[in-house]
Amino acid sequence: MAQVWPDILTVLPVSEAELNLNFSEKIDLSLVDILKQARNQLYHKNGTRDGVETAQIVLDFSWEKLNTGTWRDVAKEWRRVYSYGCLFKVTALCCGEVSQLKIDEAIKTCDMGLLMGASILDDVLQKLVRVLQNKAKAWQSKHTEPIVEPERKKFKTECDPAPMINPAKAVPRIYCPSLEQFRTEFLDPLRPVILEGVIDHWPAFKEHPWSIDYLRTVAGCRTVPVEVGSRYTDEAWSQTLITVSEFIEHYILGKGNTGKGYLAQHQLFDQIPELKEDIRIPDYCCLGEGEEDDITINAWFGPGGTVSPLHQDPQQNFLAQVVGRKYIRLYSTEETERLYPHQSQLLHNTSQVDVESPDATRFPDFLKASYQECVLQPGDVLFIPLKHWHYVRSLELSFSVSFWWA
Amino acid sequence: MSWHGFGFNGFGQIVAHGREDTGTPCVNQVKVTIPTAVEFPSKCPDGSVSKGRSLQLSASWSRTALFSVQGDGQVHLTGFLNGVSSNQKDITGSSGCLDAQINERYLTLRFPDKVECWSCDGADMELVWKTDQDSSDIPKGHSAQLPLVPEGYIAHGPPLFRPLSLQLQAVSLALGSGHAVLLCATGTIYTWGNGSHGQLGHGSLVPEEEPRVVEALWGVPLRSVAAGGWHSACIGEGGDLYMWGWNESGQLGLPSRRCRKKAEQNKETGPPGGQQGDTDEDVCISIQSFPALVDIPRVSEVKSVSCGSRHTAAVSSEGNLYSWGWGDYGQLGHGTLCSSDEPCLVDFFPTHGLRVEDVRCGPWNTFASVTTADPTG
Repeated sequence: MAQVWPDILTVLPVSEAELNLNFSEKIDLSLVDILKQARNQLYHKNGTRDGVETAQIVLDFSWEKLNTGTWRDVAKEWRRVYSYGCLFKVTALCCGEVSQLKIDEAIKTCDMGLLMGASILDDVLQKLVRVLQNKAKAWQSKHTEPIVEPERKKFKTECDPAPMINPAKAVPRIYCPSLEQFRTEFLDPLRPVILEGVIDHWPAFKEHPWSIDYLRTVAGCRTVPVEVGSRYTDEAWSQTLITVSEFIEHYILGKGNTGKGYLAQHQLFDQIPELKEDIRIPDYCCLGEGEEDDITINAWFGPGGTVSPLHQDPQQNFLAQVVGRKYIRLYSTEETERLYPHQSQLLHNTSQVDVESPDATRFPDFLKASYQECVLQPGDVLFIPLKHWHYVRSLELSFSVSFWWA
Repeated sequence: MSWHGFGFNGFGQIVAHGREDTGTPCVNQVKVTIPTAVEFPSKCPDGSVSKGRSLQLSASWSRTALFSVQGDGQVHLTGFLNGVSSNQKDITGSSGCLDAQINERYLTLRFPDKVECWSCDGADMELVWKTDQDSSDIPKGHSAQLPLVPEGYIAHGPPLFRPLSLQLQAVSLALGSGHAVLLCATGTIYTWGNGSHGQLGHGSLVPEEEPRVVEALWGVPLRSVAAGGWHSACIGEGGDLYMWGWNESGQLGLPSRRCRKKAEQNKETGPPGGQQGDTDEDVCISIQSFPALVDIPRVSEVKSVSCGSRHTAAVSSEGNLYSWGWGDYGQLGHGTLCSSDEPCLVDFFPTHGLRVEDVRCGPWNTFASVTTADPTG
């Protein structure tokens, strides 16, 4: 049993009056009334008995709003309300004596706010989760021996066979080109290339070599979105929210037939700034016109055999490989007609063809499409020009970082 | 005849919040898990109320509107009013109204000669929309049951009035959070609006701008429709119940992953993320984009149905109430805070010798109108 409340207080506004609850008229007054009750319960402990229940009303109500209409149309104001619900739930969970279970739930609640809500009170949820994580770590080192199972210490090495790369189709490789050379030879003509030697200095390779144990230590208790099912075009594909530790346990070290899980296209580095310290934005991104803040950094973490079906993205992409290898196939936009994109609005950027075992009767022209291919190794950075079609399959346990820029 | 309510009571909209120490055993102030009689304001029942089926009810998230169509028609609100919970108010100028509907922002009143829409979120009620009509003006076959109004309907938000083609011969309309289900005089139904969770019943997840006939029910004569947050329901002439849309909490009465997971969690087995026993996983349905026949054990004929944001309640011809779906606020009336993906009898009513006549769901609560069961049938 321990107290975490004094630490929580340090990141909260000092008084009730300073915790503003001003919302636009989009937010129903009845809900604002509940928010005020929750605030009152936070600053006057008399009401803590019902604190979690009050916060849950806010969360349930705003969750329904977040699920009404398309995500893009959801008013930012409702995402702010959702974050306030998370804040009040966390504070209600953490006042008084707390257990490991409560801390875990509080961390999960912060993550739900970080994933679905909007930034409030100077990123208070980010601050809260740091306080909670430190508490959890201090506890663990005091109360439990670190779990060390020798055969689990390293990433699994068994892997899928790498396809033979046809030298005539291999993506060219270049070692640390100058900005100017990269721009004239690859960026301007939109030609794919593998850059070597440009991420060797990342702490992810040196000071904090990324491993299962390291990820578990830094992010184990954090909740992340995971794609379940072998590829996102499958009927049975779904998304679920689980902790990094659970993900590692079930889908990376995978005992039993729990299906494929892929922590894909998630802005993990915004959620966990500590991990962002381990990577660097490639200098070549400065050749774009956008600001550095506009660069989208995504994590791609999964076991061998994850597949991203052939698709295109609207921005330039640097795909940096940190752990494991990936087989990648690239088609230029000129080949689009031969790739049979899906008809539906939702998937029109995705090809219907299973790249490595195409149905030649349904998609006869696909075999005529010319392509480039490669096996991306740890330390490689693949430049995928915007709109270039790409297909990705991990050959073993893999962690990649993508940078979308313009 | 009286109304019993259960479920979300965060604003005292079912029973007024008492002092902390005087709560009845089944009421935790916010979550009423057992059907509880809704108190009528003393001056509202005028004698006729206790007899016929005259007292009507409409519920929003934070308020309940009660009115007597055989009495003076005065509308009485309870819940969150003028910024205060457990508040009560008679709507002045509502005398003589024939129908009333309330949502979180607006109270709509239908009189013999006009329809008025009042904003009720602020401190003062404000008239925001109005149409004058002569009841003899109502086109033939076009019912005036709210939210239908002559030549259109009243939506949840601005623009409040939306036109509807007279050719549809609208009889009754149910509005979900982003979609609409319309029953026509011919017994066919049309849906439109947001379709992201299969709530339109056309077999896809795309939105529809204009009313589109639900082809899967073509030829099945229908008599009543209901709409929840992301799900829809209708009853056939024979009392068969069809549902479609989102089954997130089991609101369609089909196996739901979330319900199974909750049950599973108590056992602490299986991997996280909804990937439990592979056979169970296969039968779970998240989205049902075509109408599905719902089987309620031991019920041959469904009389009426109503949908909350994520739950469903139906009355059988025998006068029993069944509920299923989201139960976190006690809105299923089973004395628990559990969700259920199977229709379950609310046994409070038969146990107390009460016969359920009709049901109205608020977003997070449920209201049943009951009469004393007559043993002679």
